[in-house]
Amino acid sequence: MRRRSVLFAVVCATGLSGCKATQPPGKLETETVNYAKHHFFIGNRSEKNPLPYTPQNWQDGKEAFSHYCIACHGMDGQNTGVPFADHISPPIPSLASAEVQSYTDGQLKWILDYGIRPSGMPGSSGTLSDDELWSIVLYIRHLPPAGSQGVPEMYTH
Amino acid sequence: MKKKRVPMVVSFGVLAAMFFGAHSASAQEAPHRIEITAKRFSYEPSEITVKKGQPVVLVIKSLDTAHGLRFRELNLNVTIGKNGAGELSFTPDKAGDFTGHCSVFCGSGHGGMSLMLHVVN
Repeated sequence: MRRRSVLFAVVCATGLSGCKATQPPGKLETETVNYAKHHFFIGNRSEKNPLPYTPQNWQDGKEAFSHYCIACHGMDGQNTGVPFADHISPPIPSLASAEVQSYTDGQLKWILDYGIRPSGMPGSSGTLSDDELWSIVLYIRHLPPAGSQGVPEMYTH
Repeated sequence: MKKKRVPMVVSFGVLAAMFFGAHSASAQEAPHRIEITAKRFSYEPSEITVKKGQPVVLVIKSLDTAHGLRFRELNLNVTIGKNGAGELSFTPDKAGDFTGHCSVFCGSGHGGMSLMLHVVN
């Protein structure tokens, strides 16, 4: 009986310490989760972006990205000016990072559609049209230089 | 001989004038005006049918916030201010079904705000 109580207390303590968002996840956790996301959890690997890269489509993507993606990812998709980017767990990845860029276009669209639970990344299916979501994929593939777009207006005052 | 040719030339001229006159009148055919209302998160009507080659004016009125209407495939876009109106004038040159989307972010249902345009022969 005592053993069970101790075990229960350990499980609870572990669980509660796991709720802290201030500690970044360890390397093992990060690599395991990334592998699982890329290979098991995120679907739609083979779908191609129907929008070709053109300056207009890129501009459309930048515009659609600015509706609310910038609150977490910054104007440049690289977290510039986002005050909490490193203070949540998991930290918000730079969209220019290998972790993100190694998704296929179809997977990026899937993430935009459905989000990633429980990372905080919301799904946008229905909030943005397919056209807009594919244009965001295009924007993510051709991000501007880090810092070149300034800080989201909401963080300037 | 010359006298005989005069009526022929006149007749030909009258016929030509009638033909080109009629053609010109058809080229300036009054556009088909269709009134559409836009509000979060739909258009009314949500489907419209127009004829290929017939000029069309879509008159879009917003009943709430700013909206837009964009047909990417037809390279058409209009934005409308809050409670405002806008027009989209064009002559469809290909038959088919084209989906237009709201082009101004208007809230949580913005992505599903669409209008179906049928262009028939």
